[in-house]
Amino acid sequence: MPRVAYDDSALTVWQGSDALKFIDGLSSNKMLDMVKGELCQTVFTSSQAKIIDLATVFHMGDFLAVHSHRSKLTALLNHVTPRILNQDVAILDVTSRNQFCIEYDCSNSVVGRFELKDDITYGYVAEGFSLLIASVDVECTCVGGIIEFNEWRIENQIPWNGYEISEKQHPLSAGLAHLVHPNKGCYIGQEILARMISRGRQGKILLRIENGDIDDKFVTTHGEKYSLAIIRDTRQ
Amino acid sequence: MDCGTCETPDSVQVVTPEVVNVNLTISSKAQEMLGNAFGDDRSMALLVGVLSGGCSGYVYDLQIVESTDQSCQEVVIDGFKVLIPNASSHLLDGIEIDYVDRLMGGGFRINNPNAESSCGCGESFA
Repeated sequence: MPRVAYDDSALTVWQGSDALKFIDGLSSNKMLDMVKGELCQTVFTSSQAKIIDLATVFHMGDFLAVHSHRSKLTALLNHVTPRILNQDVAILDVTSRNQFCIEYDCSNSVVGRFELKDDITYGYVAEGFSLLIASVDVECTCVGGIIEFNEWRIENQIPWNGYEISEKQHPLSAGLAHLVHPNKGCYIGQEILARMISRGRQGKILLRIENGDIDDKFVTTHGEKYSLAIIRDTRQ
Repeated sequence: MDCGTCETPDSVQVVTPEVVNVNLTISSKAQEMLGNAFGDDRSMALLVGVLSGGCSGYVYDLQIVESTDQSCQEVVIDGFKVLIPNASSHLLDGIEIDYVDRLMGGGFRINNPNAESSCGCGESFA
């Protein structure tokens, strides 16, 4: 399977008895049922329901390892740390100890779990791709190019950080609706997202379009023949 | 994955807000309802804390407790002992503890001058 380096990665360790509840209370997906060995993606959103960051949470047993994005780590930490208050949560930044890559075009039979193989943690995020994390001391070859990866993303309509996933979008418009749990309690941005879903009005949607079909300003990932774009849904 | 948990990597810097000496008031209706809840036993205390969560980012946490492990400041108003955790004191200075007598959505309510916004249920604020 092809692999591509995922340099805009951050890894933080969230320790303490309140860590899972803390993440659950501040992000869009339901995390409380997670058990050791599972992973779950969730989106931290602002009060306007805009994306602060997409996080992949690995339940390690005694603590949580949270993959997020280096370019957004400061914003994420500025968002969460004032809310720790007197809860039992401590966050460590272990980004520099690790390397990250994406293995794609996979056929993962198990999704939402992770395992250690040859000192590399394979996080089965979706059927089509895995997030690989390894210590910097481990050999983990990622030689694929970003152009090929983006073509695969366009083909499969996979949103990505820095392209579709940005602070200008909310999870629904960025193609992350599957990470907005319909039956969980309140979190920041929840009221807006719940209203959009219940009224069937989410404004913009992520689409795969043929090049030239729409104005370039809506295109988020350019491909050779097709591209990804976030455009207003005219059916609404 | 190297989580660094066998060693001690640097913690993410958490800016701890300065502890504020909290001033608070309790409305007469809330005092009446607290009187009903406490009875004659004034050894118990009303813990007024803040947790993360809710639609607006913070939620109030009201409990009647004998004691707490949290570092708190104690305020006594008309014989009612109120405990405020120091960690959330910056969010609670100037609050009024009120009681809303309604069939739906009634109960204790915090009127908080520090809140920029709050959600409809009144439990969450930002």
